[in-house]
Amino acid sequence: MSVIEINSLTKHFSGKKFSGEKIKALEKVSFNVGNGEIFGLLGPNGAGKTTLVKILLGITFATEGTAKLFDKPVTNVSVKKKVGYLPENHRFPNYLTGEQVIDYFGKLSGLKKSDLDKTTYKYLKMVGMDEWGTTKIKKYSKGMMQRLGLAQAMISNPDLIFLDEPTDGVDPIGRKEIRDVLLDLKSQGKTIFLNSHLLSEIELICDKVAILNKGELVKVGSVEDITSTGNKYIFTTGDLPEEIMNKVLSEYKGTLHGKNEFECTINTLEEVNVIVDYLRSQKILIHGFSKEKNSLESMFINLIEQKN
Amino acid sequence: MVLYAFIKGVFREALAKRILITIFGFFSVLIVLFVFAITNSTVEGLQLMLESGSAGGLKEAVLTFESYIVSGIPMFMLVASMLIITSSFIPDMLKKGHIDLLLSKPISRTKIVIGHFLAGTLLVLVSFTFLLGSIWILVSAKTGYWNVSFLYSILWFTAIFSILYSAVMLIGFLSRSTILTIMINMLLFFPTTFLLYLANTYFQSDQKGIVFGPVAEALLKFFYNILPKAWDLQDVCAQYVTQTPVTNTMPIISSVLFMCVMLSLNIWYFNKKDY
Repeated sequence: MSVIEINSLTKHFSGKKFSGEKIKALEKVSFNVGNGEIFGLLGPNGAGKTTLVKILLGITFATEGTAKLFDKPVTNVSVKKKVGYLPENHRFPNYLTGEQVIDYFGKLSGLKKSDLDKTTYKYLKMVGMDEWGTTKIKKYSKGMMQRLGLAQAMISNPDLIFLDEPTDGVDPIGRKEIRDVLLDLKSQGKTIFLNSHLLSEIELICDKVAILNKGELVKVGSVEDITSTGNKYIFTTGDLPEEIMNKVLSEYKGTLHGKNEFECTINTLEEVNVIVDYLRSQKILIHGFSKEKNSLESMFINLIEQKN
Repeated sequence: MVLYAFIKGVFREALAKRILITIFGFFSVLIVLFVFAITNSTVEGLQLMLESGSAGGLKEAVLTFESYIVSGIPMFMLVASMLIITSSFIPDMLKKGHIDLLLSKPISRTKIVIGHFLAGTLLVLVSFTFLLGSIWILVSAKTGYWNVSFLYSILWFTAIFSILYSAVMLIGFLSRSTILTIMINMLLFFPTTFLLYLANTYFQSDQKGIVFGPVAEALLKFFYNILPKAWDLQDVCAQYVTQTPVTNTMPIISSVLFMCVMLSLNIWYFNKKDY
């Protein structure tokens, strides 16, 4: 079942007043997000990522197209009971303490006081903020605010969580902790929609990604599909004698990267084993071999440059 | 539950921003000054009337004195100060990062508008109850005549506030600026309604037609009829306080209609707006 269904979603903003100019924030974007997935939305600044999230949450309205959450239109307020949200640059009232923030937004989510009493500490502890619950948030650092924001997004135990730059301002250890929290949520069957500039992070935890550029969907698919370069394998070995180098070039259509490394395009695992057998029969020490992958970052940059 | 959380949030904001403390501090000073005034017999008119002796004289004196308390200038000062204090509520709510969070919660936009309106009105009701209730107790204790009708002034002043607040909210939604909201409210709204009130009083007098031509008169009457009638409502309030029958209900009906139209506009605009 799809938790998020987006079909030909279009959003045009009016430009300068009286100019009749239209700014295309989104142009016929369509994709689905399945239950229990961690979905990453990527794109350069101004690509329309935040607009898309805001439409899904009913904060902004689409010009054309449809968007559904849990099979209901996003304009249906009741569907938000199943949704948590951490916006980018959120502003909690700074006169509140961490616990009061959770209490306030928990009640706005429709939670009863008795439920909040049970869960507030649990979620603050989950994000490592349990010792700071009674401190006014004006004393919090950026990273602490992000952690509190994450607890706020989880407080109603939602099935779908939208996170806009959740690790912004968080130190590397904190980032790892947040990643662990997200993976824990995934293991509980929650769906997570992640909007982040940190591609390495997306690569680490997302099952599926979509890339937006200038309001258009450039690519959508699993991280593996997007980063895959086909069937290229890299072999790292001990020093290769010249006759073996020649055989690699002629018979296995390989490309040499010096005396200790070569790459081959291989269609089946059987072929990989044939090469391994040959190298071992020649007493060549194999240090390792792996399927070549592009990083998400290099793929992202390539795709955006091609489009531009 | 959600509406309660919303109202509690507004009160907490007022408390944290020292708005409540300022209101209650200011009103406490007013009450202390009032105590000082009546215990030192500086309210000479009241003293003279009280000294007249008869039961009718006492009642008349208290009613007259209380009608001064709810007259135009105190009404203007109290309602205007409360409007200034509450004018930041909507622009603050609309700030980026806060409105996104609010709209992501399972609350309808209509409920958010109504919640804000109710919270603002409740805040003012509590404040006016403190001030006018204290004054009523002091005057009654001093004179021995307990004019319960005076307590209607709390409701009337709150009603005048809420009618104008519905328009202040709309300015807040449109401009998203506290300063602009206060300026439009103070520089245009109160003087305009006051001048229209004066113009209407003039039209009802024998001298009508001397200053204004028929077109100007029609225009002024049009604006008078569509805008809220804070000053007429203050007259009605004074009639309630002095236990005089209310003869003209038109200001009440048209002001309530104005408030309903303003609230509907608030709801309509907020429901269609992208944030």
